[in-house]
Amino acid sequence: MSLVEKFEEHYKEKLVRPGNGCCPGCGGSLAWRMLLEALGKNTVLYGGAPCAGCAMRVIKLPRFGFHFSFVGDGASGIAAAFKVKGREDITVFSSAGDGGVGDISFGKVSACAERNDNFIQCCIDNEAYMNTGIQKSGLTPYGAWTTTTPTGKKSKKKMIPMILAQHRIPYLATLSIAYPQDLMKKVRKAKEIRGFRYLHLVMPCPTGWRFPASKTVEVARLAVQTWIWPLYEVEKGILRLTMKPKQRPVEDYLRLQGRFRHLTEDEIAEIQRSVDEEKERLLERDGKNIWL
Amino acid sequence: MSRMPMTKVMEGNEAAAYGVKLSRVEVIAAYPITPQTELISTLASMIARGELKAEYIKVEGEHTALAATAAASAAGARAFTASAAQGIVYMEESIWMPPGMRLPVVMCIVNRAIAPLGGLRPDHNDSLLQRDTGWIQIYCENGQEVLDTIIQAYRIGEDKRVYLPVAPCYEGYVVSATATPVEIPDQEEVDDFLPPYKHEMYSLYPENPRSPPRLMRSIAEARYEVQQAMERAKKVIEEVDREYGERFGRYYDGMVEQYRCEDAEAVMVTMGSITGTARDVVDELREEGKKIGLVKLRVFRPFPTEEIQEIGKRVRAIGFVDRNTSYGAVAGCGIGCIETARALYPLDEHPLLLNYFVGLGGSDVTIPQLRHIAKRILKAAETGKPVKDVEWVELEKLEE
Repeated sequence: MSLVEKFEEHYKEKLVRPGNGCCPGCGGSLAWRMLLEALGKNTVLYGGAPCAGCAMRVIKLPRFGFHFSFVGDGASGIAAAFKVKGREDITVFSSAGDGGVGDISFGKVSACAERNDNFIQCCIDNEAYMNTGIQKSGLTPYGAWTTTTPTGKKSKKKMIPMILAQHRIPYLATLSIAYPQDLMKKVRKAKEIRGFRYLHLVMPCPTGWRFPASKTVEVARLAVQTWIWPLYEVEKGILRLTMKPKQRPVEDYLRLQGRFRHLTEDEIAEIQRSVDEEKERLLERDGKNIWL
Repeated sequence: MSRMPMTKVMEGNEAAAYGVKLSRVEVIAAYPITPQTELISTLASMIARGELKAEYIKVEGEHTALAATAAASAAGARAFTASAAQGIVYMEESIWMPPGMRLPVVMCIVNRAIAPLGGLRPDHNDSLLQRDTGWIQIYCENGQEVLDTIIQAYRIGEDKRVYLPVAPCYEGYVVSATATPVEIPDQEEVDDFLPPYKHEMYSLYPENPRSPPRLMRSIAEARYEVQQAMERAKKVIEEVDREYGERFGRYYDGMVEQYRCEDAEAVMVTMGSITGTARDVVDELREEGKKIGLVKLRVFRPFPTEEIQEIGKRVRAIGFVDRNTSYGAVAGCGIGCIETARALYPLDEHPLLLNYFVGLGGSDVTIPQLRHIAKRILKAAETGKPVKDVEWVELEKLEE
C-alpha cells in the first residue's frame, strides 16, 4: 500500500477531510478531530464563524450556521425540529468562539441553558477575537496583550463555565487538547445526556498568543499543569476535578507566550496568587454540589 | 366526510393564530411585544390544549426568535414567528438570513410605529424598513385576510420556484385587536391546499445531508437568484390566491385589488386597514358622481410594477396614501409613492402622482381625511395641477 493509499484509507473512516485553512499550529484542527471522534456520525453541527470552525470547512457532517453572533439559537431551532420529526437520536452540536459565547451571544447561551434545550454547546476559546486579528474579548485573561489592549488587559477572564453551572444545566465540562482521553470521555458522556450540555475548550492560538507553532500542545498542557485552566466537570451540580496535576508556577506558562511578554514580576506574582486561591477553592468544592 | 367551515367573531391576532394552526406549523420561536402578544399567547394555548402539535421555543429576544425559526426551517420543520416595531429592528441581522439562505419561514409583522417617534399604535415603517431584504410582504386589511394570507404564505414561500420567506403584515390594534367575524376553513381542505413542507435544497439529516451550493458560486449570482425568485413569486402569488379563492370562496385579487376603478379618472392607493375606510369614502364619492377608484396594494414585495403601470395608463391622477416616513427621501415622498413613481416612469404619458401622509405613529385615519385626499386627487385629475404634491394630511386644513 502506497503512502497516498494509506492516507486515503485513513480519511475514509474519519469525519474530517485532509487539509484545512487553519493557521500553522492551530489547536483547532486537533480539537475538531477529537470532538468528532467522540461525537460520531449521527451528528449535525451548528455554528457561524468561530476561528477554528471557520477554518475547518472540511467536516463530513451536515452543517448549518449564520454568523458568529448567532450562538446556540439555531441549534435550539434544529433540536426543536428534530423533536417534532421524532429524530432525537441525532446529536446537535453547536460550536462558537469565546467572543460569541462570552460577549455578543452571552444572553443567547444563557437562555438556551435556562430552557435546557437539547443540544451540546461548545466554546472553542482562544481567548480573543482571532478571526478579526487579535482583539480583546471578555474571555481574554488578565494581563494579555491584544491589538485593543496594547498595554495588557486590565480586567479578569469571565468564568463562563461557572456562570453556566449556576443555570443548573445537567452537564458541563472544561476540556483541553493536551488531554485527549479526558476530552473524549467528557464529550462521550455529554452525548448520552439529554438537555443543555456545555463544553469549554481553551485552545492555544500561536498567532494570537505569540508562541512558536510547534508548541501548541505544550502550551495547552502547561495551562492545565499551572492550574490556570483546570479540568473538571459538573454533573447535576456535583463538581469533580478530572485532573489534579502537580502544580507548576504560572511563569512557565506565561513566559512561553509573547502576549504576556510585558508582565512585571509583581504582575506575575499577582497572577500566581489569584491562581493559587482559585485552586484552593476548587479543591475545597471537589466532589461537592456547587449549585448555590 | 366534508365538514363546513365555521365562523367565529375574533380579534385579528386570534385569526392569525388560526392561520398558523391550520397551516400545521411545527416549530414556533417568538418573543412577546405589544401588539403581537395575543397571537403568541393564543398559539401557546393551542399547543397546551393539544390542538396544535408544535414545539414552541420561548426565546429571550427577537434576534434569536427568527434565527431559531430559520434553523428549524432548514432542519425540515414548517416554522413561524411574529414581531413588531422595536422587535423587528432588534432582529434586523436575523432578517437577512432566510432570504439569502432561501428558507420559506413565515413571520407576521403586527405593524407598530418605531420609537422614539412612535408609540404602541401602528404605522408601516417597521415592515417597509425590510423592503430591501428579500422578504415577500403581503399587507392585510382585516382578520379574515390575515388568516387566509398566512395559509397562502406557506404555499407561496415553499413553492420551489420561490423559496423565500413571507411576511403577512397587519396593523396593531386596528386589525390585531379588533374583533370581526372570521370564517375558519376546514382543516382537511387546508391540508389539501397546503401539502407538508419539504425543502429540496436542504437536509440536515446525517444519513442524507444536503445544503445549497452557495459557496460554489459568486455572490452576485446568488443575489440575482433571489431577485429572480421575487419576480417568479408574482405569478405564484396570483396562482395561489386564485386557487385559494376557488377552494375557499375568498379571492384577494393577487397582487393588487382594484375597487371601482373601471372608468376612474383618479385613484387612491392604500395599504392595509386604511383600505376598509377608503372603500366607504369611494362609495360616497361615487354616489356623488365622482369618478374615483381605489387601489389596494396587497403585495409590496415583490412590487406590482405591471399592475400599477396598467392603472397609470388609464387614469389622470394617482394619490398614494403612505403610512410611513422616509426622512429626506426624493421630493419628500413616502416609500409607497417613490416606488410607484418608478413604476410609472416608463409610460409615454404619466398621470399626476400625489403623495399623502396619514396615520403616522398610529394616529387614526378618518373618513374626513380620506375624503379630503380623494377630493384633492379628483381636483388634480380635473385641473391637471395638484394643490400640493406632498401633503402631511394631519397638518393640513381639511377641505369642506
